[in-house]
Amino acid sequence: MSAEAQIRNYILENYLFTDDQSALDSGDSFLDKGILDSTGILEVIYFLEDEFNIKVEDTEMVPENLDSVNNIVAFIGRKSQ
Amino acid sequence: MTAAALPLIDRFRTIAESHPNKLAIADASGQYSYSQLQAAVAQVAGYLIEAGLSKGDRVAMVVTNSANYAAVFYGIWAAGGVTVALNTQAKARDILNWTDHANAKWLFIESGHGEFTEIANRLDQGIELVAVGEPKTEQPAQAQTPWSAITQQPSGMPNLALAATDLASIIYTSGTTGSPKGVTLSHANLSANIDSIQQYLRLSHQDSILNVLPFYYSYGNSVLHTHLAVGGSLILENNLVYPHRVVERIANEVVSGFSGVPSTFALLLGRVNLGDYDLSNLRYLTQAGGAMAPTLADKLLAALPKTQIFIMYGQTEASARLTYLPPEQIREKRGSIGIAIPNTKIEVRDKQDQVVAPGVTGEICAFGGNIMQGYWRDAEKSAEVLKDGWLYTGDLAHTDNDGYLYIDGRSSDMIKSGANRISPKEIEEVIQELDSVLEVAVVGVPDEMLGEIIKAFIVPKDAQQTDKKAIQRHCKQNLAIYKIPKSIEFISELPKTASGKVQKFHLQNKES
Repeated sequence: MSAEAQIRNYILENYLFTDDQSALDSGDSFLDKGILDSTGILEVIYFLEDEFNIKVEDTEMVPENLDSVNNIVAFIGRKSQ
Repeated sequence: MTAAALPLIDRFRTIAESHPNKLAIADASGQYSYSQLQAAVAQVAGYLIEAGLSKGDRVAMVVTNSANYAAVFYGIWAAGGVTVALNTQAKARDILNWTDHANAKWLFIESGHGEFTEIANRLDQGIELVAVGEPKTEQPAQAQTPWSAITQQPSGMPNLALAATDLASIIYTSGTTGSPKGVTLSHANLSANIDSIQQYLRLSHQDSILNVLPFYYSYGNSVLHTHLAVGGSLILENNLVYPHRVVERIANEVVSGFSGVPSTFALLLGRVNLGDYDLSNLRYLTQAGGAMAPTLADKLLAALPKTQIFIMYGQTEASARLTYLPPEQIREKRGSIGIAIPNTKIEVRDKQDQVVAPGVTGEICAFGGNIMQGYWRDAEKSAEVLKDGWLYTGDLAHTDNDGYLYIDGRSSDMIKSGANRISPKEIEEVIQELDSVLEVAVVGVPDEMLGEIIKAFIVPKDAQQTDKKAIQRHCKQNLAIYKIPKSIEFISELPKTASGKVQKFHLQNKES
């Protein structure tokens, strides 16, 4: 499964409570759409650290890295280089 | 009229005239001086007066923290109206329930609010929808007043005399269908509490705060008013999702104050090394909304040795604040919520209304100018908590020999999660709407970060029908995000007394 699919499925399953792929656009802002709050973001970080074997530094906790599926995919790509 | 009884709108007007160029509010859209904010307040008031507002009319608002929030809120007061500021995370069903219960004649709602269309479609006749902020393209074309109708108004303040005893605000603390609880506060209530808070925090026009607390809750409400009443500045940061950005702003904006709930500080200490930032201008921190674990307080003291830390306790029914722990006592009185704030009396009483001895647990009761008028249009509920002018808080505590209070628990089943106080009944009502559910009981279970998280115990009609996602999805459609149960457990029956009352403590004990 691609990183994008893994992240999408995690968000759909745990925050939108559905497997309907049309419920989430990969460009949707988690905050603007009311999908995640501050604890949700922390849970997503723990998920990324476990699933992709990366360490998210405090200074990397910014919307540019974490506020949409697309942003996360790009962030993980940069971290893996 | 004494200074103590002077409505906050009059204090704001005085400050705006004496310090017109002082920064009042900085939000994502820009910086607003007191004179600019006053002009916006006057425009809102001008619109409402022209639209026929009569003194005491309720005006509801669903606006996130911003200069517009303050303009609408103070504009309603300047026109003689009663503010009904609603939770911006709430879904349409709750918002409509509250506006209906308050019999509001206007609803100011942000143009980009996620429930805008739903609300516009379902709003009763007789209530005017006012879109706050510039229109968004996806907005429907329903009959409504655009923001331009406000901004075209003249900017001279109306000169309306308000009595201190006039009703100022209704704050809803829960949204159960049929019987939402609306705390009614007079101008005198709010002024009295603001005076007390200013006194112990020693707030002045030199203070500025980085605010993350929602203004629609009484804690955030008091932060807004304390600053606007003294000519202080509010720097708004609307979420804590990215904690190091919050600390960065505390340092860069050179603010003197910061307020939060225990989870705010747990998040900041957990994800940010405070030692990396120059926080030497941070004069004080305040913490309310639940007891801070002494170990967390110790960590804060270690990280910010020069900053005063005020642990506080209060209720919406008391305008906000009831007690505070003087910062110099924080080590000696570990775990205490302190003593009564100035001009307020606190007693710990037993069930026979007698004051208990130190060390004995009883109910916290409070008396003072800050105590609410009652619950809006609910004499029965009001009489349950207001007796001879005293507020019975439902919170249990004891004092030590010096009179310092320590919380022992609470007699109500409200869940405290992060900054939110949540009525389990609201969630139970929503879950009970599902055909697959026979019975449901919702409780708070301990959580390290949030204090409590929500857990639903559900008895399904059919033992095979146990689709957790379907239940959470239904909750997401109908409840604010923070009210969605994190955990769901299906059980065969709920523990009950002989008379059929659900014994929630048995469910909570399963978790601890």
